[in-house]
Amino acid sequence: MPVIGTFCVSVDKDVCVNAQSPGKCATCVEVCPYGVYEIDAQGQVHVNNYNTCVGCRICAEFCPANAIRINPAESEYLSRYPWTFGQIEEIHHKSLTGGYLLRGFGTAGPLPHFDGIVVVPSQLASESPRDKYREECQMEVVIGEDTAEEPITLRYPILFPAMSYGALSREAKLALAIGAAKTGIATNTGEGGVVPEEPYYANGYADPERKEQKWAPGGYLVIQWSTGRWGVSADYVNAGDAVEIKIGQGAKPGMGGHLLGAKVTEEIAAVRGIPVGSDALSPCRYYDVLSFEDMKKMVAFLRDVTDYKKPILMKLGPSRPYDDVRMAAEAGVDAISIDGICGGTGASPDVVTQGVGIPTIACIPPAVRALKDLGLHRKVKLIALGGIRNGLDAFKALAMGADAVGFGTAAEIAMGCRACMACHKGNCPYGITSQKPELRARLDPEEVGQRLANFVQATAEEIKILTMLSGHDDIRDLSEEDLRAVDINTAAITGLKMIGYERRLPWWENGHSS
Amino acid sequence: MSPVLDAKDQELKTVSRKLRKMLNGQPVVVKNAAHLHGLAAGLKHGEVVIEGHSGDYLGVLNDGATITVKGDAGKYLADNMTRGRVLVEGNADYGAGQYCYGGTVVVKGNAGDFTATMNKGATIIIGGDVGSEAGTYMLAGDLVIVGDAGANLGNYLIRGNIYVGGEWASLGHNTRLEPLTEEDVHKLEGYFAEHGIQADAHGFHKLAPLSAKPFYK
Repeated sequence: MPVIGTFCVSVDKDVCVNAQSPGKCATCVEVCPYGVYEIDAQGQVHVNNYNTCVGCRICAEFCPANAIRINPAESEYLSRYPWTFGQIEEIHHKSLTGGYLLRGFGTAGPLPHFDGIVVVPSQLASESPRDKYREECQMEVVIGEDTAEEPITLRYPILFPAMSYGALSREAKLALAIGAAKTGIATNTGEGGVVPEEPYYANGYADPERKEQKWAPGGYLVIQWSTGRWGVSADYVNAGDAVEIKIGQGAKPGMGGHLLGAKVTEEIAAVRGIPVGSDALSPCRYYDVLSFEDMKKMVAFLRDVTDYKKPILMKLGPSRPYDDVRMAAEAGVDAISIDGICGGTGASPDVVTQGVGIPTIACIPPAVRALKDLGLHRKVKLIALGGIRNGLDAFKALAMGADAVGFGTAAEIAMGCRACMACHKGNCPYGITSQKPELRARLDPEEVGQRLANFVQATAEEIKILTMLSGHDDIRDLSEEDLRAVDINTAAITGLKMIGYERRLPWWENGHSS
Repeated sequence: MSPVLDAKDQELKTVSRKLRKMLNGQPVVVKNAAHLHGLAAGLKHGEVVIEGHSGDYLGVLNDGATITVKGDAGKYLADNMTRGRVLVEGNADYGAGQYCYGGTVVVKGNAGDFTATMNKGATIIIGGDVGSEAGTYMLAGDLVIVGDAGANLGNYLIRGNIYVGGEWASLGHNTRLEPLTEEDVHKLEGYFAEHGIQADAHGFHKLAPLSAKPFYK
């Protein structure tokens, strides 16, 4: 949580253009949305209030003289834990306002994650390694192969998960669509309705008539069906290539989407059908689902509305992965996303983001077991979400049994985000999570779409390297045998073999089930 | 003679595909459809008449069709409708007219709990009584209840109007009573005349939201 005074702002006056020639440069004043800098009548720039700095570092990035440095005030985690500066500020906030802390981005702090796992390379005792440079590797993932008349084929086991139009700017949504189109993967509308250009952009077309494909090979758009049903109609459901039923998300399982009034502009209000400036609080559950039988009916009517053509996906928060995934599969969907506690959010109560839900690495093994118990593993696709940062994390998720992974927060970072964790304020300096025209203007969808495509290509390449060095030429052949847990905690959580011990921990061997 | 589609022992996919083909100008009568949930979903035109009772989610995502139920409707009638009309001669179960953006829902009999929840612009008229939590988190549109309402009526109403002819057990948060205007009376009389409902519009009470931003200061 970026709090007052967390960052020191220092300007090197020896190189600062303004310090040398007052009036000549005030880029920092211009780009900072938080009023850290100020320009006086003589044209001199001063650090006006470093306490408002959220550590986004946009001033440093734009400073033509590289004169600005932003540093954390102190390593208070080491010096004052558990009474860190952040905790103190949080208590002050509550005692002064009577309100709890609400913030965007996602979970911060140490939790069991993919870092406790290493990849086992191939040597003599296993299949020989494959040659990344001269041999092929099968990385495609098909969703809805036997169940939808028009299944979707992701070129890589990667997709951009749901981030709503409202939480994200229009430009960011379009950049994601272009990034997906350029790499043959899928993007997702999120629950805030569809940006008009999104469906054909995602398929690789810059014009609604879809005359000439501009961004090859073309990707897919997943339409999210959620509890607030913002901007939802029969046309919306049919606007993309698949439909995802949102049950929950990692950052705030058990709560609905939460768009603060500050971000509900005229444009967003029109799409969502709510008054300008009013909070859009999605219900935490479907008002139109009272039982599991109703959920099955919902899957069935969504298939019907899409004329049995489009795959139906379901997104779950991290709760009871075995039972939840089992029920999702029994409800009849074609793919299940399970989002870990590290999943992102546009806004959520801090305590919920920080403390509710289980880590991604703890979600995957029970989810895989549920699908295996139903004989549906690799048929109903499992998509792992939540804090997946690179090809290494992705590979680990795939080897644990997922069919694909989602990059949400990582995609935002690929777009330019510096993880300042203030998405809810609507002042994103990179125009990603802001609805302000002047900030949105900083994000060029084509340029940022290319960044996303670069990120996906590089990440896919990382997955390919790891797949081939562990002796495989098809991501579907990856297994837990390609991984080891490096510590007892990770071994206990995941059921992976532990380094040194070279076996699964005893209770995993004794018919453990969740 | 309207074409008749007998849905007895048939699956949703079969009936739905047949129905879509049959909808070319004249009303299609569907019989024995009470076991089908999500029938007549997302239709853009045409007229469907359900003989007898319907299943749940009838006319979900309706986008222009007119659907009439001669008997009772199941749960979630006309869920998420955007355009069109859904008329029920009997009663409707839980959650009629939820999530609608537009169109008209008329239930001649009674309706269950959570009627018109998150209504975003439809006109929803209940000829009889409604259960609890009617009009919860309504964002636009009209909910007209000719009879009585249950507890927590209009809970967290954000925008739109709720008209009640009878009594209510309790009002929800963010609601207030507002005097009926001549326009309201005129509008209600129009609804009643159009749908053959016997009621005196002058005796109705009107609920409006206290604030459009009730959740955060």
